[in-house]
Amino acid sequence: MTSAPLLQTKLYPPRVTRELVERPRLAERLGARPAVLLVSAPAGFGKSTLLAQSLLGGSPRPDRPAVAWLSLDSGDSDPSSYWAYVLAALRTAAPGLGASAQALLESPGGAPVTTVLTSVINDLAGSDEDVVLVLDDYHVVHAPVIHEAMAFLVDHLPPQLRLVIATRSDPPLPLARLRARGELAEVRAADLRFTEPETAAYFAGMGLQLSAAEVSTLEGRTEGWVAALQLAALSLQGREDLAGFIDGFAGDDRHVVDYLVEEVVHRQPEEVRDFLLRTSVLSRLSGPLTDAVTGRTDGRAMLEALDRDNLFLLPLDDQRRWYRYHHLFADMLQARLLDERPGEARELHRRASAWFEEQGDTTAAVEHALAASDVDRAAGLVEAALPAMTKERRESQLRRWMEPLPDDVYARRPVLANGYVGALMSTGETSGVEPRLRLAEEWVKAAQALPEGESPPGLLAAHPVQWQRLPGWVRIHRAGLALMAGDVGATIEGCRDALAVLPPDDNLGFGAATALMGLASWRHGDLATAESAYSETIRRFGLEGYVADILGCTVTLADLQLTMGRLRDAERTYRNALDLAERQPAGPPRGTPDMHVGLCLLHLEHGDLGAAKEHLRLAQELGEHLGLPKHPHRWRIAEADVRESEGDLVGALTMLDEAERVYDLDFSPDVRPVTAMRARVWIKQGRPEQALAWAARQGVAVTDEPDYLREFEHVTLARALVSAGDHTAAGFLERLLTAAEADGRHGIALEILVLLALARQREGDSGAAMAALSRALDLGEPEGYVRIFTGEGPAMAPLLTAAARRGVAPSYAARLTGSTGHVRPEPARRDAMVDPLSDRELDVLRLLASELSGPDIARHLVVSLNTVRTHTKNIYAKLGVGSRREAVRRADELGLLRR
Amino acid sequence: MSETETYEIRIQGRLAERWSSWFDGMEIAAADDGSTLIRGEVADQAALHGLIQKVRDLGLPLLSVTHTRTGATP
Repeated sequence: MTSAPLLQTKLYPPRVTRELVERPRLAERLGARPAVLLVSAPAGFGKSTLLAQSLLGGSPRPDRPAVAWLSLDSGDSDPSSYWAYVLAALRTAAPGLGASAQALLESPGGAPVTTVLTSVINDLAGSDEDVVLVLDDYHVVHAPVIHEAMAFLVDHLPPQLRLVIATRSDPPLPLARLRARGELAEVRAADLRFTEPETAAYFAGMGLQLSAAEVSTLEGRTEGWVAALQLAALSLQGREDLAGFIDGFAGDDRHVVDYLVEEVVHRQPEEVRDFLLRTSVLSRLSGPLTDAVTGRTDGRAMLEALDRDNLFLLPLDDQRRWYRYHHLFADMLQARLLDERPGEARELHRRASAWFEEQGDTTAAVEHALAASDVDRAAGLVEAALPAMTKERRESQLRRWMEPLPDDVYARRPVLANGYVGALMSTGETSGVEPRLRLAEEWVKAAQALPEGESPPGLLAAHPVQWQRLPGWVRIHRAGLALMAGDVGATIEGCRDALAVLPPDDNLGFGAATALMGLASWRHGDLATAESAYSETIRRFGLEGYVADILGCTVTLADLQLTMGRLRDAERTYRNALDLAERQPAGPPRGTPDMHVGLCLLHLEHGDLGAAKEHLRLAQELGEHLGLPKHPHRWRIAEADVRESEGDLVGALTMLDEAERVYDLDFSPDVRPVTAMRARVWIKQGRPEQALAWAARQGVAVTDEPDYLREFEHVTLARALVSAGDHTAAGFLERLLTAAEADGRHGIALEILVLLALARQREGDSGAAMAALSRALDLGEPEGYVRIFTGEGPAMAPLLTAAARRGVAPSYAARLTGSTGHVRPEPARRDAMVDPLSDRELDVLRLLASELSGPDIARHLVVSLNTVRTHTKNIYAKLGVGSRREAVRRADELGLLRR
Repeated sequence: MSETETYEIRIQGRLAERWSSWFDGMEIAAADDGSTLIRGEVADQAALHGLIQKVRDLGLPLLSVTHTRTGATP
């Protein structure tokens, strides 16, 4: 269950009312169909009505675009809620649109909004349906992250999507740029004001016979404000003395709408007046809800009567179950309630909160509790919603709710205090963490002193389970703080403490603690601990279905395994994760391209350049937007590596520059700095002196103590020394070797041994060279390493030949010799597939063998056409074909079409 | 003890005094020139912007916002 089911009422476009007045000047502006239409004017200027009439009114024409309508409210300043509603609105216009974006948004762990939006944009760009997205009341949005993402959307609008924004204040979007490009049309207050002839037409349309002078008076007094005109018409209807009313109105200088609302409300019978005032606190109204709030039983009948009498009530669904007051009218009523019945508003909000709680609508229940200043009720509701809200990554919403709660509420609610800590830390915030965390820790300590199962007196906890899990979580948060402060030792210790007290079924707790433990151990150079920690993280997250987090941990785990010289385990790690990713029904989750980049690097080690390039291409096809934060950097590193393997050293250097530009390792230690990689390419280019100059600049020297975090740089320096024929190389390598072997970094040890063999050979010590090489071959053979030997160029060939002659791993050495000295890769295997097809791809493949068209296949599989295209592209790539017919033939040969 | 600021928001036209509770207890005063002053202490800038938003939401033309005084309340 989600904590906040989407309210369909917010996706319901306003009803199209009979057009009383023709306004050609506005119709013209709206008819221009610009990329973005901004309707910016104060409340009650008829923005929504105008849009509904122009977009939805009249008889439907075939070329009329589908309309996705979203009425925003204050809760939508929360990014996750905002985007969930935007996607839901788009779906009302084009079913199936944004399905994978939806999955990305809902995936535990979430995805950046640009990722989600790119997916929507791609869907739209691949569709032939035009959609207009209307964002009504955009002024309620205050979150800068939403505006930023909207600016991104505006900048990447596909021709199929038009954006309409109705707002009371201009949004912080790049309007000037849009104007300059001619992509913005605007309708502003001055345009919306009714002119005198329009005012005359309006009153005539309402059946009111007024003189030209009277119309002129009304127009002048209301300044063409349509809400005021409507109220005036309401007040005039059924009145004998029109002139008297108009005179009184014109002679009064009070706020025009305030005056007219007073007139209208005063003319209502007492029970209607009472109903209006009491229900003014509700942002949406239904019969049962208004009954709960007023304590009466006539809610439904009242609403129907108000709707009939045009009393500023807007229906929010077709069944006339939900309504809302026009915002301006509601504000006017609420001001009266506050003035005439002080204190009552709080009680009304409290009742509304209780009703929404009963209905399971946490969001509305919390909002009303906060409006009632009933902080205890709000705190209990928020605490109960913590697990679901956290799982949906709605931390910013949580923070918005928790910020107004006073300290004494947290003092009795350690689970809530700890939840606040989690929400703060997950959004990168450390200020405010310490006092709340300490508070939670004190409760945990107090409970420890008591017999098992007994709670400390005064404790408030919404969920017994959350309270039981608290001891583990306060330790996890404490460890997280230590890691943010750079204290690796304290982090590891904190994680151990947490793991010791977490209840066995708290998978997320174990996942979080082991992930922290893994990261800290990695930074510490304790790879074995890091590896087992991350393996456990992946297992625990797997039990909870946190796929995106699993893919993130996979990259780290495989990196660790690679460092430890376990190429085959690393490959298994990536394969398992890729299988998991491909099994996701909603399409590839975020992090899928990262798996392909990892497999690319592994294939390079195996000397299979063809397969390596194929994975790099697959990663690219999935799109950078689907990658984890590290992906753009890692993809370029892999591309540079491929170019280097192909002998394109200049191209490799260019790509490394690009990799450096998009550097983002997302908290991982930078164990392979780009500058060192660049130095390695220079060495390959025969310019070791340039690499030595790099080392000098970086302060990397042969006298350094071996240090895991600088190991890559040290080995790079050793490489330069070997290449330059420097006699200090061998001694340095021996020291590095000892350190690497002592900590189980056999992957690094392997490289060092290869370099050592070359260094000893140069010194003329063939015996020592052969000894080093033979140890390298021992390490490399079971794991299938190729490039680490063959990449060393011609100097390696005689050594390998000699090893084979002496019977050291003869077949392996001979196989390596076959490709030594050439940068030519092993031919890609053609007999079997490099990459097996996923289940979903097999489904698509079988449908490709039928007569169905692309759109038919999409409908059959209930996915978007774009998704089908992606699968098809992948199938072609995996089968090595270029057309549907070839794919079917090849699949038949491989027996893939048999079920 | 925290600093508070006193502001005066001037709007065009007349607003009845009973709007005071809607504007969080700010004083509502009619000025001689036909405009209305909404005057009082605000906790911080965020609160001030909240008030200005309320003015906007009523469709009242905003004429000026004046900072009149910095005071301290215990």
